[in-house]
Amino acid sequence: MTARSRADCAAALVGLPGMTPVRLGRLLAGRDPVAVWSDLVAGRAGVDRYHVDAARSTDPGRVGDRYRAAGVAVLLPGDDGYPDRLMADPGAPAVLFALGRPRGLTGRPAVAIVGTRSATPYGRQVAAELGRDLAAAGVSVVSGLALGTDGAAHTGALQGVGADPGPPVAVVGTGLDVVYPASHATLWGAVAERGAVLSESPLGTPPLPRAFPARNRIIAALADVVVVVESHHRGGSLYTAEAAARRGIPVGAVPGSVRSPASRGTNGLLVDGCIPIRDAADVLVAVSLASAGRPAPAPVPEEGALVAARGRDRPGRRAAGVPSEPSVAGAPATGTPERAVLDAVETEPTPVETVLLRTGLSLAAVAEAGHRLVVSGHLRSGAGWWSRR
Amino acid sequence: MIAAIPSAVLIGVDGKLVRVEVHVSNGLPGFTVVGLPDAAVRESRDRVRAALLSSGLPWPLRRVTVNLAPSGVRKGGAGLDLPIAVGLLVASGELPPEAVAGMAFVGELGLDGSLRAPTGTLVLAEALRDRLLVVPEASVAEATVCGSGRVRSAPTLRRLVDALVGRRPWGDAAPTVPVPPGDGTPAGDRDLADIRGQRLARRALEVAACGGHHLLMVGPPGSGKTMLAHRLPDLLPALDRTTSLEATRVHSVAGFGLPPTGLLTRPPFRAPHHGASAVAMIGGGTTWMRPGEISLAHGGVLFLDEMGEFPTAVLDALRQPLEDGHVVVSRARGATTFPARFVLVGAMNPCPCGEGGAPGRCRCSQAARERYARRLSAPLLDRFDLAIRVDRPDVDHLVGGPPGESTATVGARVARARHRAVARQGSANGTLSGARLDRCAPVSDEAATRLELELRSGALTARGLHRVRRIARTLADLDGVERVGSAQVAEALLLRCRRQLLLGGEDPR
Repeated sequence: MTARSRADCAAALVGLPGMTPVRLGRLLAGRDPVAVWSDLVAGRAGVDRYHVDAARSTDPGRVGDRYRAAGVAVLLPGDDGYPDRLMADPGAPAVLFALGRPRGLTGRPAVAIVGTRSATPYGRQVAAELGRDLAAAGVSVVSGLALGTDGAAHTGALQGVGADPGPPVAVVGTGLDVVYPASHATLWGAVAERGAVLSESPLGTPPLPRAFPARNRIIAALADVVVVVESHHRGGSLYTAEAAARRGIPVGAVPGSVRSPASRGTNGLLVDGCIPIRDAADVLVAVSLASAGRPAPAPVPEEGALVAARGRDRPGRRAAGVPSEPSVAGAPATGTPERAVLDAVETEPTPVETVLLRTGLSLAAVAEAGHRLVVSGHLRSGAGWWSRR
Repeated sequence: MIAAIPSAVLIGVDGKLVRVEVHVSNGLPGFTVVGLPDAAVRESRDRVRAALLSSGLPWPLRRVTVNLAPSGVRKGGAGLDLPIAVGLLVASGELPPEAVAGMAFVGELGLDGSLRAPTGTLVLAEALRDRLLVVPEASVAEATVCGSGRVRSAPTLRRLVDALVGRRPWGDAAPTVPVPPGDGTPAGDRDLADIRGQRLARRALEVAACGGHHLLMVGPPGSGKTMLAHRLPDLLPALDRTTSLEATRVHSVAGFGLPPTGLLTRPPFRAPHHGASAVAMIGGGTTWMRPGEISLAHGGVLFLDEMGEFPTAVLDALRQPLEDGHVVVSRARGATTFPARFVLVGAMNPCPCGEGGAPGRCRCSQAARERYARRLSAPLLDRFDLAIRVDRPDVDHLVGGPPGESTATVGARVARARHRAVARQGSANGTLSGARLDRCAPVSDEAATRLELELRSGALTARGLHRVRRIARTLADLDGVERVGSAQVAEALLLRCRRQLLLGGEDPR
């Protein structure tokens, strides 16, 4: 029998039909995968017959080749790159697959930013700002690469600039060669390049509903603090919050309008005593408190980052990759149509109709003033609405 | 004995001259109709027999053959009852041939001998304009609209025969009814002044009416989209003579009641339910071609409520008529052209749950919204110049807001602006494209810079540019200026139709 590598055998075990994270954990139970594989093939592992049959027709070397060809690392607990935080976790995946540089997580504070897939513009904006400012402060942003909040948080994290920006880390529910959702292909690639994409599912695993709550526990376990940006009543991101709470990891929630269903879950978390999160500074305070109790202390965020995150001047404007925004000039003079329009627009998307009624100006005047305010950087615009920057 | 009575049948929206030849000869008593009659014509045998007998006229116990010439054209409708009856009376010697010389007959018979109005009298009369036309009393107004005006009428077959032989005078239906000038009075219960708030939508309606631009309204249920659409026909100028005749013909052919004057002068309003089939929408049918909703809306407004619920095939069938202003319906037996120039007003919810865009309220995923938006194909969406979001009005504006301008005020402004456009280019601005836009809608330098900025940022596409220029042209006409300035362009950019409106999201910049 040729010498088999631990990684190849581990990957082959995960890829067996009918293998679940729980069965895998029971089978491996801290033992050497090569030995487990030999036992399995010899029929000594005490598992179902079909696992044995499948194992006998599988060549671990060939399986390993597929992972090497895809550039996917196979990590076992204790391996270089297997996240430290997962080592002590009761629900830790016995085998973890990784794209990019999973090592980047080591010795850094990590914050999970999660939330609903059907996020409101408010939620997406806050998630992106948190991601950006936390990455700039050197924090690793952990999320799930899903639509809505997750995507916004990762996009923001990629835009964070600083002396040592934190690498983004994504934990996904599919195989690492299955990009889901497909519209996040570019983002997926960028996260893998700057940070890491992790999964406990073997290559080729399609998006299965059960995989997502399972990966939420990994997201929670990887973070020092879990921030829920927006969640509907009984939304999926509440599972992440619950998984974090069970591990004693602090959970923060971004307050939202009491009338917004997309904030019902998060507002409920606040009532339950979670940390209110207004901006990155709130998170950083929570991180330093959380990491104070940890054996490997994370670098304390610089004082400057706190100030920048709290200040009125939003640091994101200097983000690389974002076309330089026109500098926000002072507020327009009182009595001008611009002033009237600016006063009529809220931070939430405000329909043109509302602006017309509040200002009493003609549509042409509102249109021109709105355009000038967009150019001067006071307003954002969409189809039929404006919102304050 | 033989008799030949001129009459007419409907082929599409045209009247086709038909000679009803009746031959009565000795032989086994019987009655046959030849010359491709459809079921309704074949049944006329029984109606004619009963009508003659109830009118105290004899039914010949001889062999009767009726031929409808030209015999190669399929003939439908009950309008041939009267000419068959008159032909029979002449052929059997009850009426002297001179009594009906130079006359044509159109009408349906009741079993009691009464004369009933056939569908499409207007176009039938048009085909028979060089003859003295005899129609049922109910059809007089319709028959005089575009015929020669030489029309006689009678209430029953008996009275008709009496008049023909000179025993009694003709009924006093006025032989000539002059076409009245457009009454132009909008219905009082649909005034624009009743709508509180909704300034954006009111403006969009004004622009749509003025330029004939198609308008899409996106908004949650109960925001007043339907109410707004119902106000549009009254803002449109009265139909011009040609359109009025075309529209009247379509309504006549479809068997719709016409106004007492016989001529449609106000723009029609059609709002088919989303269950409508493609044939109901476009026109067609097996025995006779019936105009579809798009033709019934000719000259007026076609309102499609819940546009996302219409089958995609039905919506896409609208594209060609929207482009051409008419529709050619082809069947094995021939093709018919129906006019179909209308202002399309679409209304739809922004997403399946109906709350889309309202921050935080919508529970639809982005994917669901995209699926919903895809129900309107890109080429169809391209036909809309204007698109606006309509939201539920504030309670404050519903209760205490000032009333808006009335239909009469806005309508007058629309008429003035439409007049400018027609004087300049001979058509409304909604039809301008390409080279004609360059000629008819020159933009100021400032406005050109603004448009260039939008194009460069990616917020405006080449197609969108034409749309904005068309709308801006109409806005300039409403403002009474010849050159399109930056104010008009800014406003047009807000009013223009774009898919973003259905998807949400921020402008690229």
